[in-house]
Amino acid sequence: MQSLSTIQNELSFIWWIALGLSFMLYIILDGADLGAGIFSLFVQDEDERGAIMASMAGTWDANETWLVVAGGIIFGSFPLVYGSAFHYLMIPLMFALLSIMIRAVALEFRVHSSASKRFWDWGFGLGSLSATFFAGMALGAALKGFPLSHTMVPNYVGGDLRFLSAFSIWTGVGAVVAASLAGGLYIRARFERRCSTYQQAGSWVAANFYLALAAVVVTLIWSLITFPWAAAKWTGPYAWVWLLLGVVIVYAAFKMRLASTRQNDMRAMLWLATLIVLMWGGMMATMYPWLVPGTWTIYDGANPSNSLVAFTLAVGGFIPVMLMYNWYQFWVFRARINKMAAYAH
Amino acid sequence: MLENSLSVLLSRLDFAWITSMHILYPPLTIGLSLLLFIAEWRWVRTGDEHWYRLTRFFEKLFIINFGAGVATGVTMEMAFGILYGPFSQAAGPFFGNILGYETITAFMYEAGFVGLMIFGWGKIGKRMHLFATFNVMLSSSLSAMWILVANSWMQTPTGVTLQHGIFMVHNWVEAILNPDFIFAFPHMWIAAVELALFFVAGISAWFMLRNRNSALFQRSLKYSLIALLFVTPLQIYLGDGLGRVVAQAQPAALAAMEGHYHTYNSNGSVNSGWHIIAWPNDTAGKNDFAITLPHVLSLLETHTLNGKVTGLDQFKPADRPPVLLPFYSFRVMVAIGFFLFIVALWGAYLILRGRLDSQTAHSHRGYLRILVFSAFLPYAAIWTGWWTREIARQPWVVYGLMKTSAGVSKMSVGSEILWLVCFAVFELLVWGGAWYFFAKVIRKGPDMESPVIEGGHEPLGHLERPSDDQAHPEYVRPVY
Repeated sequence: MQSLSTIQNELSFIWWIALGLSFMLYIILDGADLGAGIFSLFVQDEDERGAIMASMAGTWDANETWLVVAGGIIFGSFPLVYGSAFHYLMIPLMFALLSIMIRAVALEFRVHSSASKRFWDWGFGLGSLSATFFAGMALGAALKGFPLSHTMVPNYVGGDLRFLSAFSIWTGVGAVVAASLAGGLYIRARFERRCSTYQQAGSWVAANFYLALAAVVVTLIWSLITFPWAAAKWTGPYAWVWLLLGVVIVYAAFKMRLASTRQNDMRAMLWLATLIVLMWGGMMATMYPWLVPGTWTIYDGANPSNSLVAFTLAVGGFIPVMLMYNWYQFWVFRARINKMAAYAH
Repeated sequence: MLENSLSVLLSRLDFAWITSMHILYPPLTIGLSLLLFIAEWRWVRTGDEHWYRLTRFFEKLFIINFGAGVATGVTMEMAFGILYGPFSQAAGPFFGNILGYETITAFMYEAGFVGLMIFGWGKIGKRMHLFATFNVMLSSSLSAMWILVANSWMQTPTGVTLQHGIFMVHNWVEAILNPDFIFAFPHMWIAAVELALFFVAGISAWFMLRNRNSALFQRSLKYSLIALLFVTPLQIYLGDGLGRVVAQAQPAALAAMEGHYHTYNSNGSVNSGWHIIAWPNDTAGKNDFAITLPHVLSLLETHTLNGKVTGLDQFKPADRPPVLLPFYSFRVMVAIGFFLFIVALWGAYLILRGRLDSQTAHSHRGYLRILVFSAFLPYAAIWTGWWTREIARQPWVVYGLMKTSAGVSKMSVGSEILWLVCFAVFELLVWGGAWYFFAKVIRKGPDMESPVIEGGHEPLGHLERPSDDQAHPEYVRPVY
């Protein structure tokens, strides 16, 4: 394999940031939609479930597309990682994709259905649950790294079930808890305060807040023990920076809870987004320079052709534009709704 | 013969299945968004309520189709890496980049505006809405362009050099504007427009047959048939152009499409025969049975009576594609193309003689039924066209440079079967659901009652609780 020029090294770094940004936006935006789907499994009233789906009718598609953008960036900027990591993660990705599929059609079909409403409700709820679980599992499995062949282009070698471990199952569960919290906050922000859905989401948020807190602590300790690359960073000479980050995260979590109990629902969502930014950023910094720890660094996995320059020139400018029209979209669909929205469109 | 170990064959089937089930939706998205834009633009310009009703009605069908397209499309993005890991790694510097362009400049672009277009009525202004529709149209066509760049490059991989097992791009312009792309993109884009026009014409004919909303649907019928008078022959011309590119750049693929095994006859003269039907036998390297017209193949490909057309015998057995599927799927596609051209000619004749308006259409029920039937044919043509293209390229994944067997991920047969079974069940459910809800929305018909949304920012209505709590609430639109 050839080494990269300086400019390519810099561009690889920039695209790594862009990749992290897309995943982060996906987690913030679709995390809330997925969590609302998990929440809908516990909602008794058919119209309330319909209203949850209606609340995201105009935005779910764009939210989900951040995942596709992340996929596109990996393929375009880190093709060597894309081709090997996705092969490694075949089974969890397959189930995540099937779940996303059923969830997507449930969102569009339900409003036209009469006899099959119940079926699409289940498709939406279970699809949200399993998409979150398997995506979390894929992330956990990626953190563990995977073996490569010693051929000219290093391919994935290893079985189809290598992704399966106690840690990857745990990260799947963790993802479900985190999404549940995000979904609860989303419901609180989008439903009129007098709705029963709003009330139900209140206790849901409280429970998932403490569960998520516990899950974060467990994941941190587990990572500290099993991942030498993480332990080296966290206990290294810059330990005080990590400690400071920890303190800021605890403060943000506290503010989020406070905002939520005071019914400042939009503010609670923004605090959660802050938390995700801090934790996701912390994770990326911990992993640097690895893209897949122990397997691919950003620079080994980057596009070796002059393509990175082309990619940057061709599409780099679109990302801010995308953020702008996404923002406009949320602005248009910002109003609080009630369960009657199940009929509205 | 192909290197078709069970594992490679299953990988091909896995991918063939998800692509075949995905291509059912994007062509309608691309074509219909163009027609929706034209209809909405006419409404904004003329204020004619019929255009508004048509837009709102076909938009409902559009979003059902769009949802199914997104559902099956997200899989595509990930499936290259999952099923074809080594291919993705090697071709990534070009192919991955192009798909990256597609997600950022088209997929995301479209997803952003489609929500505004469908659910933005009454929330955004009239012009802003038209702008959203315009963007959906533009982005879906852009998406088609990028996808066809990527796929065409697999057919005619120009602009790259293979270094250390990786395709390095040395000329971006050559790679993007590869010879196949020049005809393949217009051919696919026009296919999308033709499909959408027949979709609209078929549905309009169905309403005319039942004498429901005839005044409304005679308009969509008239304009789609007139457009088809130009679109259908253009598609045949583009298809012929693409065929000649294939003949030059991928002679083995062309030979497979035509069941052309022998370059020369046994007496040494050039084999110029074109088979109407045949039963190809790949093992023996000949057709067991064929009905053949002399000179036609040479006429088609070289425009001379006895021009030489390379047969499959000029290629090593390991480099020959299978013949049966490309041969017949190609013929089905061509037959549909010509049939639809005749339907369009006939329709345009009737329209221009004034025989298909709401007063006179009842005397042409036979033609209207043919139109309803014709709405399904473009789907079959797109399927068979893609099968021809993808199977005739075998055994190469990147033509002439990388074999399919070298590009597949080494998975166990068990997980390949699991993939096939899971996606078979889920995507059939999506397909069944999409067409079931198409039928439901069509049977329900357009909404002619609720007031036209004029300026945006209007309350779209409210719900009234029924007196007894058992019944569902009633949705009430305000009437001004």
